[in-house]
Amino acid sequence: MSYKTTPVNQFPKLVSQWIKKYDVTAPAEAKNGLEYKTIGDPAEMMLNNRVNTTYAPKAFFLPQSEKLFTVEHGRFQAPELKTKPRLLLGVRPCDTRAFWLLDTVFLAKGEEDAYWQRRRADSLVISFGCDTPCASCFCTSVGGEPFGREGSDIQMTQLEDVYVFEAFTEKGSALINKLPEADAATVKKVKALQKTSAAEMPKAFDNTNLRDHLYALFEDDFWKEVAETCLGCGVCTYLCPTCYCFDIVDEVQRGERVRNWDTCMFRVYSQEASGHNPRPNKAARTRQRVMHKYAYWIDSINEFGCTGCGRCVVNCPVNIDIREIVSAAQARSAKMEAAK
Amino acid sequence: MNLYQPMPMRVERVINETSDLTLKSFELTFENKTDQKAFFEKYNPGQFCQFSVFGKGEAPFGIASAAWEGPFVRFTVQNVGSLTQTIHNLQPGDLVGVRGPLGNGFPLDKLKGRNLVIIGGGCAFSTLYALTKHIMYKEHRKDYGQLTIVYGARNSGLCLYKADIESWYDRSDMVIHQAIDVPEEGWDHHVGYVPDVVKKVAPAPKNTSAIVCGPPIMTKFTLPILSELGFPPKEIYTSLEKRMKCGVGKCGRCNIGSKYVCKDGPVFTLAELNDLPQDI
Ligand code: SF4
Ligand code: SF4
Ligand code: FES
Repeated sequence: MSYKTTPVNQFPKLVSQWIKKYDVTAPAEAKNGLEYKTIGDPAEMMLNNRVNTTYAPKAFFLPQSEKLFTVEHGRFQAPELKTKPRLLLGVRPCDTRAFWLLDTVFLAKGEEDAYWQRRRADSLVISFGCDTPCASCFCTSVGGEPFGREGSDIQMTQLEDVYVFEAFTEKGSALINKLPEADAATVKKVKALQKTSAAEMPKAFDNTNLRDHLYALFEDDFWKEVAETCLGCGVCTYLCPTCYCFDIVDEVQRGERVRNWDTCMFRVYSQEASGHNPRPNKAARTRQRVMHKYAYWIDSINEFGCTGCGRCVVNCPVNIDIREIVSAAQARSAKMEAAK
Repeated sequence: MNLYQPMPMRVERVINETSDLTLKSFELTFENKTDQKAFFEKYNPGQFCQFSVFGKGEAPFGIASAAWEGPFVRFTVQNVGSLTQTIHNLQPGDLVGVRGPLGNGFPLDKLKGRNLVIIGGGCAFSTLYALTKHIMYKEHRKDYGQLTIVYGARNSGLCLYKADIESWYDRSDMVIHQAIDVPEEGWDHHVGYVPDVVKKVAPAPKNTSAIVCGPPIMTKFTLPILSELGFPPKEIYTSLEKRMKCGVGKCGRCNIGSKYVCKDGPVFTLAELNDLPQDI
């Protein structure tokens, strides 16, 4: 597809036009650092950040709490949500990759989740390629790239004083087809930048046979050791762009059935009515979180279920670092193998 | 299509199954003909539904009726908590929400032409009852070989589907073994635990598949006995019960490794279970 450009100082004007048609949602300054906000003025957006937003943008497609039905006299009525189309602007490729991963769950053929599907269909995603990844990022260790395209309609790249756009979908091209074409020299620079950014990204761990190594450790005390200090607060999962577990509850007062984010890091999550709990301790729960991302996702679609965004690493109150868990697992499993 | 949308169903009949009133069966009919059609196009014994009572939530129950019995769906519900208490209070004419059929069900095509030993205990017998009813239907019976049923309950008062099962003794095309845990006056069937009865009465494993559903403890002790008797792991089927929410493989709740009990199960072969991480 072709590349389009706009000078950086002209970009706010373009965004102002988009704001008329879309709920333009971009990283902006907020109480807890950077957050996605629906902006009324292009001046609010903060694209050139060295850090990603605290919250993952998954909430725009899978809200933290969402009404599934209004219930009257025992009949369940799904709400009709007529929303202005959303333009998610400046999403980092690790987070768009998460959309793409979650699409395999929520848009599985014949089993589409109508709520996710509608929100996805009513939106456009413009990702912003990363030329200076931050210290907690590790996308290239888990199958992603700083300029990865998965899950986005358009990708923008900054070259000094111009933005270059590349559309990957029809609705993406429709948005930018009026912009001037980029010349050959510019395109060359973009491609070079994408290459060097990926190459310069340090690897956090070696992911070779990671799935098998984790399975080998399933019954090992390893999990007890790594989960030792975990508080079971669930922050790692709530902030994670690929965590999607939910609970369904009835809000009787409001006459609604709603779904809320849930987390496998809570004891009650797996507590059964009989009293039995298949994951009765934090070791088992940490194992579930890590193995879901690095083993079970591989089993299902042969991709890691972690995009290397680093949010769980930065925000864990006791500094549990999933990269260290993975490296330690690789080392432990190799040692076990050698001892055989 | 909305995966989470319950279809409206009406309580048609309530049956008190047991003398202590902890088990009741509910036969529900469809409010909408389109729902009925969609349900029976998909339904296969061994599947389950999410049964909703608004305000109390949803819970999975195995389907206890065979399609040929009529345009209704039967569930057998044990009163163990707040949702099941509410279900137990339902009266004919009440409206409820149901989603389903969900899950894989028993692999009828693979079972065709084989002898079957169906082993159940407690309330989990419900889907085995549906399977047995399905097989015994005159047009289906010829598709399967010999049929042996082993069904255990704690005492005779807790036996489900009594009149119907009593009539199975008169049939020449099946063998039924019922067992209770301790002797009772007037009980002339087996006394003892299901695994022990299985050991005594199970047919030869040749060309035979075993299907086991019951309380976890019963299943746990029955599976090794079947293996001892020579049943290969891929010919032993069991149905798992897990905490569920969505019932359609989305909410993440019911996983064992990369499998979701609600979607990939609830029926698994022992061979499949042996390949999964022991996260049960
Ligand atoms: S597991 Fe951690 S690093 Fe990976 S995607 Fe989730 S929050 Fe980001
Ligand atoms: S954020 Fe840290 S402490 Fe909290 S549940 Fe996750 S690993 Fe445990
Ligand atoms: S109950 Fe939701 S995934 Fe199985």
